[in-house]
Amino acid sequence: MARVYVSSVIPAPVGRVWARIRDFNGLPSWHPAIAESRIENGEPSDRVGCVRDFRLRNGERIRERLLGLSDYEYFCTYSILESPMPLSDYVATLRLTPITDGDRTFAEWSAEFTCDPAREAELVATIGRTVF
Amino acid sequence: MLEVTTSTIFGAPTDRVWEVLRDFNGHDRWHPIVAESRIERGEPADRVGCVRRFVLQDGSELREQLLALSDLEQSFTYCLLDTPVPLFNYVATVRLLPVTDGDLTFALWRARFTTRPGEEQAMRRLVAEEVQKAGFEAVRSLVERAEEG
Repeated sequence: MARVYVSSVIPAPVGRVWARIRDFNGLPSWHPAIAESRIENGEPSDRVGCVRDFRLRNGERIRERLLGLSDYEYFCTYSILESPMPLSDYVATLRLTPITDGDRTFAEWSAEFTCDPAREAELVATIGRTVF
Repeated sequence: MLEVTTSTIFGAPTDRVWEVLRDFNGHDRWHPIVAESRIERGEPADRVGCVRRFVLQDGSELREQLLALSDLEQSFTYCLLDTPVPLFNYVATVRLLPVTDGDLTFALWRARFTTRPGEEQAMRRLVAEEVQKAGFEAVRSLVERAEEG
């Protein structure tokens, strides 16, 4: 099982950061690599179990399912259903924690997946680079 | 149940901060309110279950027990056994996480407790300011000075 972990400090209160992250269909509004996104079957984007179908600027298409969403703990967990990447069993979690000293936000993103061991290092590096 | 959480960013890697915080008997060397501390029965300070008995600058004596210690998660949890102030069912956790885009440390100190009716505000302030915030600022002066040197 490969694991990727990246984290960062965002100079904004957690409520404001969460307002953006929380929208499972909102990737195009904050992630530079995402061109467009839609939720399948016209479901609300905070319905746990919904599927987002989005397209990267390079034309690749990815489908992901929302597995968990917490307005209380500020996290969102999802899995990949379909992607051009040579991996499987991919589950990722994006989590925000308030930094009380300065009213900032600590953002963590972690993912686990299985893949061909020969390609693991390359995939871990690529995935880690593309998140924030 | 009341909960008080303080979190901050230290300008040093987690390993450096953990060196300071991991020693359950080391708080008398950095925390401004702790005058002296020892582990009861001469046990090692990283033995889960050990009890630290310490004296504050104002002379009051406290006992706390180590409930959990993890070098993998860089966290520890302890409870208050004896204290002269009305803090009951007090359990606290300190946890470090790496900030990967800068080799910094995110540190979180969370305490849960109950107290007597009417004392909530005073106890919240005591835990937030004198325990957590003062403690983190003392740790900061140790680890960030060392980083610059």
